[in-house]
Amino acid sequence: MNELSTVFVVDDDQAVRDSLGLLLKSVGINSRLFDSAQALIDAYDPDWRGCVVLDIRMPGMSGMELQQQLIELHCALPVIFITGHGDVPMAVDAMQKGAFDFIQKPFRDQELLDRINQAINLDAAQRSEEEQQRAVGERYETLTPREREVMECVVRGLANKVIAMDLELSQRTVEIHRARVMEKMHARSLAELVRMSLMIEGTAGSRA
Amino acid sequence: MVWATRKSGTDTRSPALGEHPATVPAGASNAGLDSELGAAEFDALLNAAIDGIMVIDEQGLIVRVNRSAESMLGYSAEQLLGRSLNMIMSDEDAGRHDNYVGQYLRTGRRRIIGIGREVLARRKDGSVFPVSLSVGEVRLKGEIRFVGLMRDLTAEKQAEEEALHHREEMMHVSRLTTMGEMAAAMAHEINQPLSAIATYTAACLRLIARDESNITEVVSALESINAQAHRAGEVIRRIRSFTRSRELSRRPVTITSLIEEIRPLAELDAKASSIRLDFSLDPSLPEIVADVVQIQQVVLNLIRNGVDAIRESPAERRKLLLEATVGTDSQLRIAITDQGPGIDESLRDRLFTPFFTTKSTGMGMGLAISRSIITAHGGTLDFRNNVDGGATFWFTLPIHPEE
Ligand SMILES: Nc1ncnc2c1ncn2[C@@H]1O[C@H](COP(=O)(O)OP(=O)(O)OP(=O)(O)O)[C@@H](O)[C@H]1O
Ligand SMILES: [Mg+2]
Repeated sequence: MNELSTVFVVDDDQAVRDSLGLLLKSVGINSRLFDSAQALIDAYDPDWRGCVVLDIRMPGMSGMELQQQLIELHCALPVIFITGHGDVPMAVDAMQKGAFDFIQKPFRDQELLDRINQAINLDAAQRSEEEQQRAVGERYETLTPREREVMECVVRGLANKVIAMDLELSQRTVEIHRARVMEKMHARSLAELVRMSLMIEGTAGSRA
Repeated sequence: MVWATRKSGTDTRSPALGEHPATVPAGASNAGLDSELGAAEFDALLNAAIDGIMVIDEQGLIVRVNRSAESMLGYSAEQLLGRSLNMIMSDEDAGRHDNYVGQYLRTGRRRIIGIGREVLARRKDGSVFPVSLSVGEVRLKGEIRFVGLMRDLTAEKQAEEEALHHREEMMHVSRLTTMGEMAAAMAHEINQPLSAIATYTAACLRLIARDESNITEVVSALESINAQAHRAGEVIRRIRSFTRSRELSRRPVTITSLIEEIRPLAELDAKASSIRLDFSLDPSLPEIVADVVQIQQVVLNLIRNGVDAIRESPAERRKLLLEATVGTDSQLRIAITDQGPGIDESLRDRLFTPFFTTKSTGMGMGLAISRSIITAHGGTLDFRNNVDGGATFWFTLPIHPEE
């Protein structure tokens, strides 16, 4: 379990909120409790990790609206909805908008804790991927324009001889650039370099 | 049956020619009666009348009847002429009638003469039916005659009764649907303490299983569990008091306590649609005399309409305000303000008619029933559109209702 992960609980019912906090504490999970959707939005920090547990029915901003706001804030925290009897259509709607899961009240504690753990793990995985992507991007930034050209050819599977002809360089120079690229990108194999280049393309694509 | 004596000073005076509007001065309106043509005209006139008409002498004996009277009573003219008026009156009214005529002749105090009232008439077959009877007086050459006009009220009474019955039925139906809709919200409200209890106990078990468990933490959780169990019980108690068989009588009650009773219900209803419901109840509001359940139904209807009106609004406009104040006219005033789309002026009159609805699942009875309840309590129910959007539905109730 990630020590930095926190479960952000939003429920307007003091007893429900408080009991959830105690349950999480009993299994050693950090929690932060909010009595309204707005309170969570006001406190929101993009560095938060963990997941959100949310009552679908609340006065003021509803659970569904909070989910929408979180999407607009580019918050990737998985959201688990707690629903009452008869809220299933709403819950289905929430799932279609990307909610992690929903759980009906009253629920078994183990059931809820399992979902929460899964959500926290998902968030951690998403985080590490993001971080890896950022690191690769940073390393790519250190390449010279010539090294980037060479890297592009290498990941396309071209032989050094062909690259030399294409870029009008000596084969020896290509070999030197290629070694520098592998070193700067921390790539231990061609396959790894290919994966990194895909990551960079991915971020470049989503930024466009 | 209630009837009133006029307040004009003529009540106690001796009857005199031409003094009362109902008195026909001799020779004034029937100048042509002597001629044969005049007599024929007069008969035609009598027989064309839809109301039953009969002329009675000082002794209360029938001296003339028209066709309508014959068919209304099931007697022929021959069977009626020369007979006492009592023959065609219900026993109860017959006794009174003798009194009225006799008393009038002695004292001039009007009981029936020139006034008109509702009595029960008796047909030849003995069946009794309601009529409106008005009696005028004619004095001619020292003789006194009374002219009675009878209007059959059977159909009218039947329609009235049907309308009343229908209204009661509709109120019952509408109360049931309100209850049905409330039931879903109610399930939610009982679920809250139950799931809190389940979660607290699960947490306690886990805390105790961990050796380093903190006893004060467990104790405080147990206290919460206790409170939540009572909370669930309270919800159930409220439901039962609301569904309890309907109190028929009006009793003195403060509007604050009346509204407090339905407040949990109303809040549930609002909460189910993520609506904030605020109450502004002046604590010094005086008592009113009202049928509590009926007034509660009106308030719930108006809140429900408000909820429907703002269900689709953005979060900051999903608010309802219920205010109770004493107006300058010393009427109690309850107003429910929403921030919905308001009401198109062209619909103003139709809104309160039964079955008018713009909702796919509406019955269109809410406002119709609410207005009839408030009117029956001597108050007024209406609405206005607000400048900043939204509508206010308000009603008044008299603080000192008339006896
Ligand atoms: N607060 C409001 N804002 C806007 N329109 C309203 C409001 N209250 C009532 N109306 C309009 O008046 C109509 C009649 O209301 P009414 O309460 O009589 O029936 P209903 O709500 O449609 O059905 P129900 O019988 O279930 O109450 C509604 O359909 C709606 O169009
Ligand atoms: Mg209605």
